[in-house]
Amino acid sequence: MKPKSDVLQGTLALLVLKTLERGAMHGYGITLHIQRVSSEVLRVEEGSLYPALHRMEQDGWISAAWGVSENNRRARYYQLTAKGRKQLAEEEKNWARLTAAVGSVLQFAQ
Amino acid sequence: MSLLSRLAGLLKIRRLERDVEEELRAHLEMRAQDNVAAGMSPQEARYDAQRRFGNSTLLKEDTRAMDIVGWIETTGQDLRYAARMLRRSPGFTIVAILTLALGVGANTAIFSIVNAVLLHSLPYPDPDRLVRIFFNEPGVGLRDVRFSKPELDDLLTRAGVFEDVSPIYEGSENLTGVKQPERIDGVNGSFSYFSMLGVIPQIGRLFGPQDFAPGFAPLAVISDGLWRRAYGADPNVLGRTIRIDGDPFTIIGVLPRGFRHPGPTTSGDAEVFCPFGFSADPFPPPMRGTRILKSGIGRLKPGVTLKQAQARLTTMAAELRHDFPTDYPPQAQWTIEIQPLQETLVGKVRPMLLVLLGAVILIVFIVSLNIANLLLARASGRQQEMAVRLALGASRGRLVRQMLTESMLLSLIGGAAGIATAAGTLGFILRYVPSNLPRLNEVRIDWVVLAFALLISILTGLVFGLAPALHSAKVALYAAIREGSVGSGYGTKTGRLRDVLIVSELAFAVILMVGAGLLLRTLRDLLQENPGFSPTQVVTANTWLGVPNDPKADPYLGIPGKAAFDRELLRRMKAIPGVELAAITSALPITNSNPNAVGGLAMEGLAIQDRPVESSQDLRAERIRISPDYFKVLQATLLRGRSFTEGDENGKQPVAIIDESTARKYWPDREPLGRQVRFGKDPTQPWITIVGIIKDIKNEGLDIDGVPHIFVSVYQDPSKQVSVALRTSLPANLLEPQIRHEIQSIDPGLPVFNVVSMNDILDRSLASRRFSADLVGAFAGLAVLLASIGIYGLLAYMVGQRSREIGLRLALGAQRADVLRLVMGRGVVLAGLGIAAGMIFSASTASTMASLLYGVRPHDPAVFLVAPLLLLIVALLASYIPAWRATKVDPIAALREA
Repeated sequence: MKPKSDVLQGTLALLVLKTLERGAMHGYGITLHIQRVSSEVLRVEEGSLYPALHRMEQDGWISAAWGVSENNRRARYYQLTAKGRKQLAEEEKNWARLTAAVGSVLQFAQ
Repeated sequence: MSLLSRLAGLLKIRRLERDVEEELRAHLEMRAQDNVAAGMSPQEARYDAQRRFGNSTLLKEDTRAMDIVGWIETTGQDLRYAARMLRRSPGFTIVAILTLALGVGANTAIFSIVNAVLLHSLPYPDPDRLVRIFFNEPGVGLRDVRFSKPELDDLLTRAGVFEDVSPIYEGSENLTGVKQPERIDGVNGSFSYFSMLGVIPQIGRLFGPQDFAPGFAPLAVISDGLWRRAYGADPNVLGRTIRIDGDPFTIIGVLPRGFRHPGPTTSGDAEVFCPFGFSADPFPPPMRGTRILKSGIGRLKPGVTLKQAQARLTTMAAELRHDFPTDYPPQAQWTIEIQPLQETLVGKVRPMLLVLLGAVILIVFIVSLNIANLLLARASGRQQEMAVRLALGASRGRLVRQMLTESMLLSLIGGAAGIATAAGTLGFILRYVPSNLPRLNEVRIDWVVLAFALLISILTGLVFGLAPALHSAKVALYAAIREGSVGSGYGTKTGRLRDVLIVSELAFAVILMVGAGLLLRTLRDLLQENPGFSPTQVVTANTWLGVPNDPKADPYLGIPGKAAFDRELLRRMKAIPGVELAAITSALPITNSNPNAVGGLAMEGLAIQDRPVESSQDLRAERIRISPDYFKVLQATLLRGRSFTEGDENGKQPVAIIDESTARKYWPDREPLGRQVRFGKDPTQPWITIVGIIKDIKNEGLDIDGVPHIFVSVYQDPSKQVSVALRTSLPANLLEPQIRHEIQSIDPGLPVFNVVSMNDILDRSLASRRFSADLVGAFAGLAVLLASIGIYGLLAYMVGQRSREIGLRLALGAQRADVLRLVMGRGVVLAGLGIAAGMIFSASTASTMASLLYGVRPHDPAVFLVAPLLLLIVALLASYIPAWRATKVDPIAALREA
């Protein structure tokens, strides 16, 4: 089985939710967006992305509907729900706290 | 997600599958398109997209699994596959399900009893605040002594911890004015008895403080059972008069069906409840030293803990001892103790029930270990299947899940069958449960029992499923594929796992054997115990003359009236054809039929001549009134002196016969014959001269020793409890109509009850011991059988797997004896390990069984020697067959096969 640590999964959810905040998007578009915005630093594995998307759908954070892509292909578009927005805010706060904490540890060490 | 949408989801499985597939395909194509745009060749672009996906089947599965629908679908698939696997080997499946059904069924049945008796709260509001109150005199070794009305008042007013207290006076009562005079159990409580318990009547009302009278109020509340039996459930029963021991009472209410008096009764349930004030006629004036009350129940104030209440009562007892030194002699150390009511009702049977529960749990685990062994053997056969699935990309977790689904399916089918069996046969099983077990009428299969049965099923499923499941997932891919086809040896991993299973199975078996051994030895000791009399050819019957509150209503008042009745009764009994001898007693042996002895002893204080008065407090004995031929009927042994004669009657010198226990206790170094005793503290009573000494008669039960008894002549000291003992070769059921007819010809208002042979009395007194000993014994036998099958199966499997190696050894010159030793040695080592582990566990826990044993110490050397030895012999026999087969391996054939 692929390693799926909580941190990784948690971060993936945060990235996906944040990406979807801009509007509905399909899975491939999400990978492209994250890759591009992070200047190719973050690459989303397909193997993790789709299970994660379906799990978030199950949890009610996002909803899915079939749509037509830019180049006229049928694709599954994901959209943030109200619950998902709340979750995103929560995760952003957690992330900020975590990075701040890590940052202060690093500064202290210097 | 609601259940409904889940179900709806099931219908969407197909669509989900298509959706996921299409979604992933769209992703692939978009990636490929971008790749082409970035300058790759179309083929390269597709490969790259595909490569990024990795194992696309796995991804699809993972993605689908995220949806509940997908999860259910996978489980459904596994279940279907599991069901197919189970159908493929029907023999194994049927044996496994049947043994599991038996195991889980036995667990369900025993647990339903444990649940009702031990776990359920008593069926009253706030049952945790109800306590039983005991008065003890630890200084003279007495527990649960009687108490007086002023002491009762102290509990209510001075202690400050009770919301309410009611004395309880349980007893045998004659019910007349109905079709057939009946002897029933009645409860006399205070006016607040029902409000304290929080009962609501079915019809009418219950007596309460507003009815208060210092002596008694002529009001009666009857049980649902009596209402249906004697009044045909007539709603107009209210206001009717009921005669109890000759006194008229007015029925004011009927109790609800489920109500039971929370205390000991002489036989069945209490059926008539009457209120008393306990301080005026028919009771003596309330003096602190006039201790007439037998037992008490109290309800603690809300918020008062048991500990706080106990502390307060201990302090109060000390204050009272200080304030009234003449009523509380210092050497008695009189004190008050409270216990949760539930504890006093069921505390005695707890050890037995827990031992039974432990035994059934052990059995179900032995069963599941056996199934685990079978599954492991099958798992070895399925190594290749697993290896191939692994090679095709199945994850190990997925394989474990598949295997676990199989064993869970098996255990749940077995469990459901077990629950169904238990539910269907519970009524039948309960008939074999000794009826003196409290709260048996509350036994039913409720959701707690169902949850327990489910838990046991799941646990057994885990026990027998986890080992093979983990085992198959750990199979090394290369090894399984390489050597999968030919049994190449006794694989160490499977081997070790199977060894562990066998060792634990034997350990469990030996624990059960030790337990069964101790219980069976106790039973055998009790059966061989000399009761002090010969119970064969003795038939007993009982009647109760009644104690009316109004002395004028008593036809047998005083000594002469009662003696006339006794003589007439004996004359009529002896005239029954087939009766050789007849005698009367106030308390039959073994059960102590004396109604004053409900739930214990009715030891009375006595004074002994030539002993200082101040020490008279700690002198007590059980007084039994008998007619002259009593010892002849029982064939008890008179050691010295004489028996009673017809001449020992009113107006003559009062005489007594004591037993050895009394002689040893009160005249350890003197001859008791000719010495004098007196019951009670009343100095005007005459002294009674001891004229004989008999060997001890076990009057309170085969397992109770050393109670001092003093027998007096029924013609000098009359008794309202009249038990008849007849020496006859006729059976009790044949004599019953004649006995009833003769007694009711004297007085048609007398009930005749419990006409049974003395042998049956002895037998019944051992019912619960026999029940638990037989049950644990049967479980132990089953455990030995299962363990021997297990060890046989293991060794047979090992011999089969190693036949090539054995052939090689034989070809190289090993002797048959060496081979025999090799196989049997393994069996012995495993058995030895298991037995040793089991013995260590037994030795460390045996003392918890102490209260169930009699005449046998918890670490009885015989049991601790015989049980392991027996199991070792069985293990040796079980390993001999495969070992003997191993010696028959043909070296040529074995080598050629290789």
